[in-house]
Amino acid sequence: MTNFFIGMFLSTLITAMLTTRLYRLIAWYAVNSLFLALAAMSEAVRIQDEAMLISALLTLVLKSALIPYLLKHFAVKFQAERNITPSIKVQYLIILIPAILVFTFYLIDPIIAGAAKNYISLAIASLFLSLVLMIEHRNVFAKVIGFLSLENALFLLAMTATEGMPMLIELGIFVDLLMAVVILNLLFKKEASHV
Amino acid sequence: MFEALFLPPLAILLLSFLDIAKIKRFLPIVSAAIFIPVLFLFASDHILYYHDLIAVDKLAKFVLLVSSVVSIGVTLALESLEKHVAIDAKDYKRFYRFFALFWIGMIISVAANSMGIFWVGLELATLSTVYMIKTNKSAFAHHEAWNYMIVGTIAIALILFGIILIYAAAKPAIGEEAMLFSALGAHIHQIRNSYLFEIGFAFVAVGSFVKMGFFPMNLWLANIERAAYYPVAALFSGLLESAIMVGFFRFAHIAKKLNESHLIGFTYIYALLTLFIVAFLIYRAKDFMRLFSLSGVEHMVLIAIFWVSGGYFAALLHFAAHAFLKPALFISTGVLESKGKYHIAGALRGYKGVKGTLFFILVGFFMLAIIGLPPSPIFFSEIFGFGAMVEMAKASHHLLLMFGAIAFMLLLLAVIFYKFVEVYQSMKYEGSEEPKEVYASEMSALALFAIALLALLVSFDYIEHIV
Repeated sequence: MTNFFIGMFLSTLITAMLTTRLYRLIAWYAVNSLFLALAAMSEAVRIQDEAMLISALLTLVLKSALIPYLLKHFAVKFQAERNITPSIKVQYLIILIPAILVFTFYLIDPIIAGAAKNYISLAIASLFLSLVLMIEHRNVFAKVIGFLSLENALFLLAMTATEGMPMLIELGIFVDLLMAVVILNLLFKKEASHV
Repeated sequence: MFEALFLPPLAILLLSFLDIAKIKRFLPIVSAAIFIPVLFLFASDHILYYHDLIAVDKLAKFVLLVSSVVSIGVTLALESLEKHVAIDAKDYKRFYRFFALFWIGMIISVAANSMGIFWVGLELATLSTVYMIKTNKSAFAHHEAWNYMIVGTIAIALILFGIILIYAAAKPAIGEEAMLFSALGAHIHQIRNSYLFEIGFAFVAVGSFVKMGFFPMNLWLANIERAAYYPVAALFSGLLESAIMVGFFRFAHIAKKLNESHLIGFTYIYALLTLFIVAFLIYRAKDFMRLFSLSGVEHMVLIAIFWVSGGYFAALLHFAAHAFLKPALFISTGVLESKGKYHIAGALRGYKGVKGTLFFILVGFFMLAIIGLPPSPIFFSEIFGFGAMVEMAKASHHLLLMFGAIAFMLLLLAVIFYKFVEVYQSMKYEGSEEPKEVYASEMSALALFAIALLALLVSFDYIEHIV
């Protein structure tokens, strides 16, 4: 089941990269985080790790509900530009995305075989895809979504490759993520007061 | 005693809620109180705290001492900030507040033994910097604060990605302790999946390099330091880059045990590319902030390369000397640029009185010290560092290639040397004589840095035995 959810995670990320509307991008990010949370849950049940279950639930609540809601709220409040055409053309993206996927599988090839091998390559691929998502947009909101997807790629790696990081570190990551969102809010606020 | 390190920054954090105009005179004394716990740590042999999550080893003690001096200097200089730039009372308070948060993050990451704690401290320092940049109200600073937020968090995220990969590589062999630098260093040869470890290290290194302005992100730090107020740049070069460098020291030390030739090849290629671009960017720099900021990138390259070549003494000496010199130069930029941003010619002329003369002498001294004229500590560190590089080249299988790289690097350093001498001459001998004001607070900061530099010259023995 984990495989299925991670596949859906990757495909939603790719769809998000091709999106040209802001609210739809936020929605795809929410779906992306939802599949991440589901994958984490099924993995937590498989290896019977309670700590991972907690972080999966936190992901579900924070990343697939609260943060997309907040972002949408900010976007409405500050009247963000909703048309976000990627600066990389779609036809080039369609070549670039598979190239990244193939490259990461090639990169990971020398690793000693194990169950996590494919997951590691998928996590690195989604890291690169999130970077592309960040690069291809000029809109600040879209860049923020790219950053949050990058955070998701990190979580995917931590969950699959290490069978769960120490709880303290994961909580630290969540706290930092929240602080980042708070800072983003304040930055937006200043921007609005500027204009 | 480790906990007491957090008291001075916490005190500044709390005091910043009071009337800053009245109490800012006392804040340098508050921040100087950090010397007490630091000296106690020096005296005690206790290394590990909190279930091994924190390790105050010799390296951490040394860096904490250096960073305390920098923090005190910056607190001193902050007092006269309002005389150089237009800043309102609210933003002034905010600046102190986020400076304190930044300092806390920096202490956490330097003293961390767990890779995760190191990262959390670094992230705290990064996020608080966004606000320090934002205290400047200009549109340029606003844009650069966004820029910093995005590039800085990408860099930090890459570091975390690398940390997770390293943990994944080491966990089957070491277990949950794989998160600790000490355990990783001790059991590195038990790791079977060394390729995964090296990918992880590559991610960590690229993240740290992006954060320090290495290739291909050479200009972003210069832009940010130009946009922010002067003390932000001083904090960047003196504290934040130090914290990242300490992380790089620790990771590289472990990676070296695993596969030295990969580490050296990786760092040398990165360093050569960076130096190549930075040398010409410095050559074309037209204002002090960008000049000093790019020179900071150059020195970070040198420190990284001395460290991986095995010149630990040279790297640490260079590291400390740069951490004192660069904030001093950034703080004096506030005075040098008081007649406009691009007035390099004549910037060192027109100083009257005791303070003015002292300023003139100290800034001339710093300018020449940063390019390594003797008896600057940078001179000794470069001699020893290049010595270590030659030793390493002789022991390697690619003698000519390594010697070529070293010669090329020296050539690029010569370009930078030439530019600095030219700028110095232009500051001193060209332009017209215009009166400029120097304030006691920044003079005391500069004097503190000068004394710290002289102290470095007599502590070679100690630095030699850190690693």
